Formats: sequence, C-alpha cells, structure tokens
Amino acid sequence: MAVMFNSQCLPVYAVSLLPRNLRHTEALRTMSSATTRSADFEQLALPLFASLYNHAFWLTRNQAEAEDLVQETFSKALRAFDTFQTGTNFKAWIFRILRNTFLTTRTGIAASRTVFLEDHPDALDSAAADPTPEDTLIRLDNQAALHAALEQLQPSLREALLLCDVEEIKYKDIALILDVPIGTVMSRISRARRTLRQLLQPHLGESL
Amino acid sequence: MNQTPQTTQSTEHLDPHHLDPDKLSAFIDGELPPAEQQGIERHLTGCHACTLRVLSATQLKAATARAGHRFAPPPEALTRLTAQLRSQTQTQPQLQAETKRTARIYSMPSLRPAAWAALAAAILLTVSLLAWRQLHQTSTLATELLDQHLATLSTGAAPQVISTDRHTVKPWFQGRLPFSFNLPDATALPPDTTLKGADLTYLNGQPAALLLFTIHKHEVSVFLTQRATGPTLTTLPGTRAGFTLQTATTPDLHIIAVSDVNPADLDLLVASLVHAQSLA
Repeated sequence: MAVMFNSQCLPVYAVSLLPRNLRHTEALRTMSSATTRSADFEQLALPLFASLYNHAFWLTRNQAEAEDLVQETFSKALRAFDTFQTGTNFKAWIFRILRNTFLTTRTGIAASRTVFLEDHPDALDSAAADPTPEDTLIRLDNQAALHAALEQLQPSLREALLLCDVEEIKYKDIALILDVPIGTVMSRISRARRTLRQLLQPHLGESL
Repeated sequence: MNQTPQTTQSTEHLDPHHLDPDKLSAFIDGELPPAEQQGIERHLTGCHACTLRVLSATQLKAATARAGHRFAPPPEALTRLTAQLRSQTQTQPQLQAETKRTARIYSMPSLRPAAWAALAAAILLTVSLLAWRQLHQTSTLATELLDQHLATLSTGAAPQVISTDRHTVKPWFQGRLPFSFNLPDATALPPDTTLKGADLTYLNGQPAALLLFTIHKHEVSVFLTQRATGPTLTTLPGTRAGFTLQTATTPDLHIIAVSDVNPADLDLLVASLVHAQSLA
C-alpha cells in the first residue's frame, strides 16, 4: 500500500489515487462542514430561544406544547438550514417555521378553523373608532389590565401585534411569517391597538 | 346637545389633515415611506390633538412590548434543546456522507484494477472511520439514556401520563409517535413489576416512548424507538455509571432499558416487552 502514497509512481497510480483521496477528504469535509453549519445555526438560533418560546406560549397557551413546538421548530430549522439565504432575516425565517409548525399541531389546526372577521372591515362594528385624544393618555403601568386585554384579543390580531411590538419585526417580514399581504399586517396591527384601547377603556382615568 | 362631541369626533376622523388610525399605527412603527413620515411630522408640529394620539400610541406600544414578554422557558428547557440539536447534528453528517459516498461508487463503472485496490483502501478507511464514529455516537447515546433516566428519578418529575394500566398508556401515544407498540398486560409482567406511566421523549433526535416501571422499588426507564430510524445499539455498553443498560430488538422496535435493579430482573422485563410485540 505504501507505494500508492508515493507521488513518484506511474501516472496510472496517480489517477487511481484520486478517487480514494477525494472520497476520504470529502467524507471528512462533509462532516466538518456539517459541524460548522450546525455551529453557525446554533449561533443564530439559540439567542432567539427565549423569544421563540414566549411566542410559542402565546400561540399554544400551554407550557409543554410551547416547549415541544420550539424543539420541533429548531429541529426543522436545522434540517432546512441549507435553504436559509445568508443576508436575509434569520429571525423572520425561523419565526415562519415556528408558525407553520404550530399550524400542523392539534391546537394550531383548531385555531386555524376559527374564522375571525378582522380582515373584513365592512363587518366591523363602528365602536372601534379612536377615542378622543383626551381619553387616550392612559397610564399603562398596570400590567395585569394589559395582560387581560391581550388575552382577549383575537389570536390573529394578537399574533401580528406581538411580532411587531415584542419581537420588533418589520411589517414586510411579518407579512412573510404570517403569509399575508403587507396591507393586512398593517390593518391587523392597527386594529389590535384600537381593540386594546377599547378593552382598556374601563380603566381610563384610574391609575392603571 | 349630546351629539356635538360625537360630531366633532367624527369630523376629526374624516379630516384629511389628521392621522387615520392605520397611518398613525404605521407611523409609530416607522413603517411609512420617508416622504409620508416627514409630512406627518410637519403636521404634528401644529396639531395638538394628533400629537397627543401619537404620544398615547407610543405609550401603548411600549407597554405592549413589556406585557408581551411574559412567558419564560423553564430553566432546563435550553439544556434539553441543545442536547436534541447535538444528537441531530451527529446523525445528519453521517447520513450525508453515506449518501454522497454511495453516489460516487455507483458513478465509477470503468475503474482499472489498481483503482479498485485504491477503492478497497478507501472503503476500509471509511468503514473504520464510520465504526469509530458509531462507537463515539453510541457512547453519546449511553450518556443521553442515562441522563434521561436520572431525570425521571428526580423528585417531582411526574410522568406525562400516569397509569398502571396499559389501556391508558398505549392510546396516549396515538398521534404523538410515528409508530405503535404493544404493552404486556399487568399479569404478563414479571413479579413485583409495575408500570407507573409514560413520557414522550427524544433519543438521537427521534421521537421515543419512555415507559416508567418499578421493579422491587427500583426505577426502570424503558425507551422504545422505531427500528428504522433508531440508533445502532450493538456497541452500547452493558453498564454505565453503575446502571444496567439492557437492549433488545424486535422487527419494528429498538427497546432499551436503564435501571439500577439487578440485571436478571431487568432481562425479564425486557423479555416480557419483546414477547408483547409478537402478540400484535
């Protein structure tokens, strides 16, 4: 075998060496590139763990389900990491996977069957109009009131609002995550805020 | 004259100079085109009402951001996640390497004899490399199994489904696992062996059923994984850190039991589980 490693041997050996060398180094390269890829993935994804968990909990309303959902999201995202285009928004990419994964769960399927009217402005009640400016300066240091109001929001409005205010994702990326036009994102967020205000109305004037 | 304020309010909304709710919302999110954004800023310098509304909307946005950050993951969740990712990473490159290798071998039909010798050498190298990796992987698997078993021993870790009845445990896994299995009836279990409950878990990144038994008050964890996708068990050590690891394979399943009970009793339990699969 030693002669085969000798670079001075006949051309036929040199040629025949090629596949072996290639194959060996390729196996190593595949492994090392996969390890690097996985390290890159972890570097991008792990800092988002708490955010993804928080959002998963808002979607599922259940601790175990939220954790399962995040685990599955990470697993899918790692498998699909090759398709992620460097330079694009990783956070939006993985939140989209989270949402799509959620939609395949039992809770997600049930939620997607529920039809809300928020995307049909004609069906809205007129009471959603803005309160007068004097009413709007409310003190929002009472977290409980706001928590309760967020709980009462329609899920699709809440989802868009949380992606915008909590996750600070831009409208165009929220549109990608939710798979809706950007105009729908804009109206959902606006309507979510008006609804929150309405729900907080009873607390106006008191120290919230 | 109750209508006066309402009229004032509605005309304000219709006034093209004032911000409509959607515009206001997009404005505070910084989502309007620069020209529109600047136009609104100019309007705000002269409009007290709209300035108040923008201020109020900004307050609500900040409060929503605080209130929305509400659910923190349990402290051990990150550990579970990273363990899952690591095991997934370990199985992936091997599969990829194998696929590429196979493709290459099939695409070389006209090699000379010397090349075949080189090929044999390469295969030898690859096989030893894979064997080394498998050994490394099974050692990781043993650690993972032991970690999960120890986690079930910790106080307060109640199983996801609590039952001594196979008729409760088995249906619970329906829709949770991509495979099915049989459980022996209570009478078919070895003496003083009780099924306490079960958990859904992950081994090597694959879903697994974790059955929790007790034998003479010793806790036993039994992991059931799909044979097609499950880890290779041949090189798994028989004991680790004082715990016995007992494995068995049926046509569809890998069964791995971990416990500190004496190995003979553990054998009986594993045998009863293997037997139950053949009753399908």
